[in-house]
Amino acid sequence: MNVIDAKSPRPVMGLYDQPLWESVNARGMKLQRCAGCGNWLYPPGPSCPSCLSCELVWTPLSGRGRIVSWVVFHRHYLPAYPPPYNAVAVRLEEGPTMISNLEGAMPGEDSIGRAVRLVYATMPDGMILPRWALA
Amino acid sequence: MSQNTTPRAARHPSPRNKRAAAVVGVGHTDWVEDWKRCRNGERPNDSYGYGLGAFRNALADAKISRDEVDGLIAGPTTAYERLGELAGIDPRWGGQADAVLAVSQAVMAIEAGYAEVVALIYGNDQRSVGTQYGGPDAMGGGAFLSYVYHSPWGFTSQGALYALTLQSYKHARGFTEAEMGEVSVAQRGWSSMNPNAIMRKPITLDDYLGSAFVCEPLHLFDYCLINDGGVALIIAEAERAKRMTDRPVFIEGVGRSDLNRGATSLEPRIDQFYLPAQQEAAAQSYAVSGLGPRDMDILQVYDSFSVHVPLALEGYGYCGIGEAGKFLRESRIGPGGKLPTNTSGGHLSETYMQGWAHQIECVRQLRGECGERQVQNARHVHYTSDVAGKCFSVIYGR
Ligand SMILES: [Zn+2]
Repeated sequence: MNVIDAKSPRPVMGLYDQPLWESVNARGMKLQRCAGCGNWLYPPGPSCPSCLSCELVWTPLSGRGRIVSWVVFHRHYLPAYPPPYNAVAVRLEEGPTMISNLEGAMPGEDSIGRAVRLVYATMPDGMILPRWALA
Repeated sequence: MSQNTTPRAARHPSPRNKRAAAVVGVGHTDWVEDWKRCRNGERPNDSYGYGLGAFRNALADAKISRDEVDGLIAGPTTAYERLGELAGIDPRWGGQADAVLAVSQAVMAIEAGYAEVVALIYGNDQRSVGTQYGGPDAMGGGAFLSYVYHSPWGFTSQGALYALTLQSYKHARGFTEAEMGEVSVAQRGWSSMNPNAIMRKPITLDDYLGSAFVCEPLHLFDYCLINDGGVALIIAEAERAKRMTDRPVFIEGVGRSDLNRGATSLEPRIDQFYLPAQQEAAAQSYAVSGLGPRDMDILQVYDSFSVHVPLALEGYGYCGIGEAGKFLRESRIGPGGKLPTNTSGGHLSETYMQGWAHQIECVRQLRGECGERQVQNARHVHYTSDVAGKCFSVIYGR
């Protein structure tokens, strides 16, 4: 099986994940924001971990963040991901941390702290994935 | 990220009895022989078979009859009821737990009077059945969302979680690749003197630095083994333990503290390196035991990956924050070092028994049974773990 045929690993689809992936498919990623205390949730959930409120509003992200850590995979774990490929942990401007990929360059020594912007990548099988590029 | 509103230092440990319980027997299976057989395509046992083999050895070591056992804890890889059925034990108290939680629960049950003699039994056929810790069939996602949530981005495997931790730790502390290498070199130094260890060929820092990355910045030597086997312990109420054996190994203190907030996005690892929870767990166990890092002759750290060790050195008070690299280079943790650490070779080089084998190494060092790798006159051994932000501190003494 080559990469073109390989299906992208499916997202975890819990009861609260659907609106996130719908917003990604519309290229306008949203996360739940707590109407009570303003806290942003990632991953999505039933209530706010900060104040336990259930009043959560799906709200667009600014698309800005900073790299807080990164790795490079050198082993072939998933058919759609032949090595080497990277993963980055991005601290969103809104607060949560998101594990994703850096597009356009491999991360390196000076990556931690770098500003990044949200981009939408289309995978070979058509899946749209929120990723990050250097700002 | 959100922070706990209660300062951790303000959460005082509740009073508990030190030396309420003691280990009176330990046993394990022949990891080296089973490694060879598994590599040869055989299935020497299933998880239950390994657990029962270790249990028989622990009973023999304790020189007690199975009928004295009135409490049972099964490890996480076997069903409690079936394990109890095979062990032929109808206890008055029981449970299922991972290694350090099992020790902690046994002590609690004994202190509360629910049991007097608890058998802790663990068996795992992870190698021979091909258990996957990464990729499309990675195990554990039901209990830990972080294990599976990021797979659409290709982010998978236990190693990746710790690689991400090490990268931000290197950045935050100025910790170097060579300092990380000190851990696997030191542990291989210990395992080279351990006949029970699967990997015994010494390695050098150059071997480490020249080895392949699996998930950069982790090298192959930073990863634990994946092998079959079993471990069992018998823990008894202290007074009864003294009557059962002339070499009881007491549990002097236990501490625990967890970091769950932000766990799926790995924030407690990559932002905090588990430090606040390690410090609180340490403080609890030191308060209960009246001991501190200076009293410890040996440190045993849960080491699914080598990076657990520098985090533990800082978190449990063996060096200052940001000083683990210097400690590894200058004070050293291998044979002849200032702080003998993972004296069996640990998960990296002895056997990957998910923390269980570390408990019996604590016991054997305190009994003085470790032959060439024996740390002379060891009186206190400290076991620490921080698996998925569940930070534990257990102090063993004789
Ligand atoms: Zn809230």
